[in-house]
Amino acid sequence: MGSALQTNAGLDTLKGVGSLLKRLPTPLCHLDGYRARYDDADMKRHLVGYAFISPWLIGFAVFTAVPFVISIYLSFTRYNVVTEPVWVGAVNYRTLLAHDPLFWKAMGITLKYAAIAVPLGIFTGVALALLLNLEIRGIAIYRTIFYLPSIVPVVATSVVFLWILNPQIGLVNGILRSVDIIGPNWLGSEDWAFTSLVLMGLWGVGGSMIIYLAGLKDIPYTLYEAAMIDGANAWHRMRHITLPMLTPVIFFNLVMGVISAFQYFTQAYVIMDATSGPNDSTLFYALHLFNRAWRYLDMGYASAMAWILFVLVMTVTLTIFRSHRRWVHYGN
Amino acid sequence: MAIDQTSARAGRTLLVLGILAFVGLVISFALPKPAERLYPERIPVRFWHMWTAEWKAVVDDIADRFNKSQDKYEVIALSIPPSGGETKFVLAVAGGDPPDVMAQWNPVIPSWVDSGLLQPLDEMMPPAQWRQLHSDMYPIARKIGMYKDHLYGVTVGLDLWACYYRPDDLRAAGVPDDRLPPTLEELFALGARLDRFDDHKNLTHLGFLPEGYLHTTPLFGNGFYDWESGKLTIYTPDNLRALQTLADAYQRLGFDNVSRFQAGIDQSSFSAGWPFISGHYSICVDGQWRVEQLAQYAPNLQYKTAPLPAPTGGRPLASFAGGNFMIIPKGARCPAGAWEFVKFWSGIENPERAAELYTKGGWLPLMPAITNAPAYQAYLKKYPQFKTFVDMLPSENIQTTPPVPYTIYLTDRVSVCGDLAMRGLQTCEEALRGLEKEIAQEQARRKEFGYAD
Repeated sequence: MGSALQTNAGLDTLKGVGSLLKRLPTPLCHLDGYRARYDDADMKRHLVGYAFISPWLIGFAVFTAVPFVISIYLSFTRYNVVTEPVWVGAVNYRTLLAHDPLFWKAMGITLKYAAIAVPLGIFTGVALALLLNLEIRGIAIYRTIFYLPSIVPVVATSVVFLWILNPQIGLVNGILRSVDIIGPNWLGSEDWAFTSLVLMGLWGVGGSMIIYLAGLKDIPYTLYEAAMIDGANAWHRMRHITLPMLTPVIFFNLVMGVISAFQYFTQAYVIMDATSGPNDSTLFYALHLFNRAWRYLDMGYASAMAWILFVLVMTVTLTIFRSHRRWVHYGN
Repeated sequence: MAIDQTSARAGRTLLVLGILAFVGLVISFALPKPAERLYPERIPVRFWHMWTAEWKAVVDDIADRFNKSQDKYEVIALSIPPSGGETKFVLAVAGGDPPDVMAQWNPVIPSWVDSGLLQPLDEMMPPAQWRQLHSDMYPIARKIGMYKDHLYGVTVGLDLWACYYRPDDLRAAGVPDDRLPPTLEELFALGARLDRFDDHKNLTHLGFLPEGYLHTTPLFGNGFYDWESGKLTIYTPDNLRALQTLADAYQRLGFDNVSRFQAGIDQSSFSAGWPFISGHYSICVDGQWRVEQLAQYAPNLQYKTAPLPAPTGGRPLASFAGGNFMIIPKGARCPAGAWEFVKFWSGIENPERAAELYTKGGWLPLMPAITNAPAYQAYLKKYPQFKTFVDMLPSENIQTTPPVPYTIYLTDRVSVCGDLAMRGLQTCEEALRGLEKEIAQEQARRKEFGYAD
């Protein structure tokens, strides 16, 4: 009885998260009503609230907002962190766009990663969530097992994968060898290094899987009942109920996934030992930026790179937001 | 009723928080504390280095000896993580709170000098002493420590690469007198006889393969820098030949085959896992520090050392060297104390005393006076294989990374160039032309930014 209650409480929590996510883009619609209800008493009350969160606000202003704005200026300078920045106009941007082949190479690799890893992560996350949504014995344990990798620190995971993907003594090639297949030189070949990093990204799919699961829990069962009465088979239910109702969550994970794909750094840095991999095949944009900033002490140039990345990420994100009316369903 | 429940819940929460706070306090008391200063009345000299494990103990001992040798300064040694060492240093200088002295081993001097991070050390000594030191230092110590006619880094341990080989393997291959062949071409031929493969043609034992491209070029010529004219030399017949030699060696074995073989062994191991000890290599190129490790981890292993033989028409006693060198940042609070420590360790004023310090870490000396000191001679007697490295030091054919402000970018791209040719993705001509173009683009970029070079 007790465990059943706990399970229900857990499901309720998941449903609550799902409802929250479904409503993500909507609060803007209520801004006018919100302003109308706002009066002086609220103002005083809110000031107390702001006072309580002021440590975070100050930290955000000092360590994020101000550097963010200053980096616009730095992107138009020659700056090595130590001496005063020297204004050079648009030279950083001009050089990046016209005379830096590594910039375009890094951009291409990062776009390719976003184009492959994000959809793959969404597909795998949804598929896993569907499996883990089945009411079978011990499902809570399975959910925990699949979620656990996503909370392991990225560096630790990367180091483990160095062994797993070792072509000679690694786990994957060991298994392949046992069935007489010679596995690839995962991290040592130009063809496979990038693919290895993409596949490695699936290791942390449990994080998005749990959000998909929350979304699945929030789909009213009455919809399935009605569909079954109308004779819908499993595929029809998936195609016309589950996936449409899950689109708000997919939308959320798509936006977050694209943003993090453009900032992809740590795994490539650790796995490739701070190098750009075989024939620069894992020279991700953020790695190139890091090299320019901290290894070559070219902070002005790196700031320009950061702003180009920012504009690109904003453009892609806004495009996704603009497209969401066509494919995201809020069930109303 | 509801209030009672709320109070009870709040009480439980407080109890849990209290227990957590208590556990945290206990842990914080149990953790090791920063060592208290042994000489609080003295002027502190903050010393950063990147040595860890057994090396850290050696460095701490040297700092301790310095502190006992005088009564004015106290060197406080701090080991910082090597991976973030440079960033930490740059930010410390930019933030106005740098260490007084730091030991470095990466080729950072040109870039850091041009960024205004370092103090010229030659200006810390009387002109006569500087002239003497300049003339006494081994040529490679000058190449590593000097930039634009000033001394910015004093080496306290040169790192030099040479051949380690197993005489038993050579005898098995029909070499009667345990000596390496006189030319690089013959060494490759011998290495090929020592290679071993399994039934699937997978490499299981490597006869001989040199280090990377940057390390191989000195055997063929100036490498990537002409010290006479002070100019970079990228696409030269010598560099092309060096690249072709390396590419041929890899293509003969198959790059993928070598890559897989090397992935299965721990090449960078600083212990018994080093492939030369484990028997995966017959002849390999590595640094002098391996001598002491071999004595520690494989005391019964029969091995010899020798300079890499020059290719036909190449340079004798040629190799690549790096160095552990001391730098004093601008903004150091106690540069005088830092300089005293640098002199103590490097042996500029007392080579005989410093000789013992060099032997503690298995480091190569700054100048012949240290080599000739009794303590160092005793060390060479104890480790005869070490003598190979010491005997090479006077050679002008030992090269290091080119002293240009974009050294790290250059070495990164040299590595990619070598990789392209060795993998067979480009011909050697294409790879070297590509490198030349990349470096020209970087130079043009820097020119547009207003940099002098």
